[in-house]
Amino acid sequence: MKALHNYLHVLWQVVRKDIQVEWRGRQGLPVMLVFALMIVFLFNFALQLSPELQAGLTSGLLWVSLAFASTLGLNRSISLERESSALDGLLMAPVARSAIFFGKALGNFGFTTLVGLLLLPLFSLFYGQNLLKPSLVLVMLLGLGAYTSLGTLLSSLSIQSRTRDILLPVLLYPLALPILIAAVEASRGVLSGQALGDQRSWLYLLLAGLLLFNAAGLLFFETILEE
Amino acid sequence: MPKKPDLLIILDILALILILTALVVIFVFTPIEAIMGSVQKVFYFHVSSAWAGMVCFILGAVGGTGYLLTRRIRWDWLSSAAIEVGLIFSIIAILSGMIWARPIWNTWWVWDPRLTTTAIMTLIYGAYFILRTGLNTSEARARLGAVYAILAVLTVPLTFFSIRLFRTIHPVVIATGSETGSAFSMSPRMLTALLLSLLTFTILLTVLVWHRYRLAQLQSEINPEAA
Repeated sequence: MKALHNYLHVLWQVVRKDIQVEWRGRQGLPVMLVFALMIVFLFNFALQLSPELQAGLTSGLLWVSLAFASTLGLNRSISLERESSALDGLLMAPVARSAIFFGKALGNFGFTTLVGLLLLPLFSLFYGQNLLKPSLVLVMLLGLGAYTSLGTLLSSLSIQSRTRDILLPVLLYPLALPILIAAVEASRGVLSGQALGDQRSWLYLLLAGLLLFNAAGLLFFETILEE
Repeated sequence: MPKKPDLLIILDILALILILTALVVIFVFTPIEAIMGSVQKVFYFHVSSAWAGMVCFILGAVGGTGYLLTRRIRWDWLSSAAIEVGLIFSIIAILSGMIWARPIWNTWWVWDPRLTTTAIMTLIYGAYFILRTGLNTSEARARLGAVYAILAVLTVPLTFFSIRLFRTIHPVVIATGSETGSAFSMSPRMLTALLLSLLTFTILLTVLVWHRYRLAQLQSEINPEAA
């Protein structure tokens, strides 16, 4: 019991540290949000979206912009640790490495979800379609949970390479594809007025991804960061 | 340099004989498919390449697991050799599929989930080599490569499941239950040719992976850091 308490304490300290850094610098979230919106506007011009077309594409646009924006956050989260060897300090602490992984993953999840939640009213505004639905938020939580835990794990891989931040998208997008497909399809279903229960298969897929990638983090994070 | 094992020499010759035999069987003994015509003959090597690619990628994960458990570099030789060969086989599967698709579907490429997924799988394993080239030591290449190879194989069932949920126009060769309708029926001779091709490609992949493994061994003897 005491061990679990300590573990959760470490996890929370890592999250708290990331929130504090973000709060003092305010450099991650605004960039992610602006970047996500930029993608939405780019798509609008690049694809010449008419209002009828837009309705069917909303969920796809939402997830593409979230996936791209979250890559920025993931890269920043890990390169912050690299700067002034903060990561070495973290790893030197006599705590379970997996607690550090879950802390980083939870931080990334929190920031990306916040961007997602801010995008919902903006999307509703731009596309004249109500996206503020509890069921869509649920899909978003599941999808981003799976996506950011995989992303956190892969960012700890890519950071060790000479190509560093440009490597992450190349590793992340193909592996995250089933998650993105499931998230887009579930969101599309929910937005077209179907019940959440009809999206059961997609939700199970997201849940499977969430469990799988977190288990992988638990297993491999220590191996990835050993020196 | 270690002497070339006798078994490998035998397998080399066996692979050559089998390829020639399979070609004769495919072009002389199997009937011309009633609807698709002679282009259907690409099917035997197409399915076999896809099979060989799959086996190689699983072998890559097995090698990765072996490396993480034992930390012996020879497991990494196996893992990277298998993935390299597997990448070539899956590219062959895609290209031969396109040759078939052009007259049958009247297009080189459709965004069918199964095609897309195979392409994505090729990208996943392409990224494996991008990851490796960015790493400085053979130890890091082996360790991080192993984690990535395992992670890649773990996402394949997820991808497969997301395909099943999508509708697909790809012919189902091994049909189960309700899908029998979309399977094309093979004559006994066609089935024989397919099984022979599968055997041929299994021997071929073994030979290729083995040769690539020996090449890695040789490289590490000359320059331990470059392998």
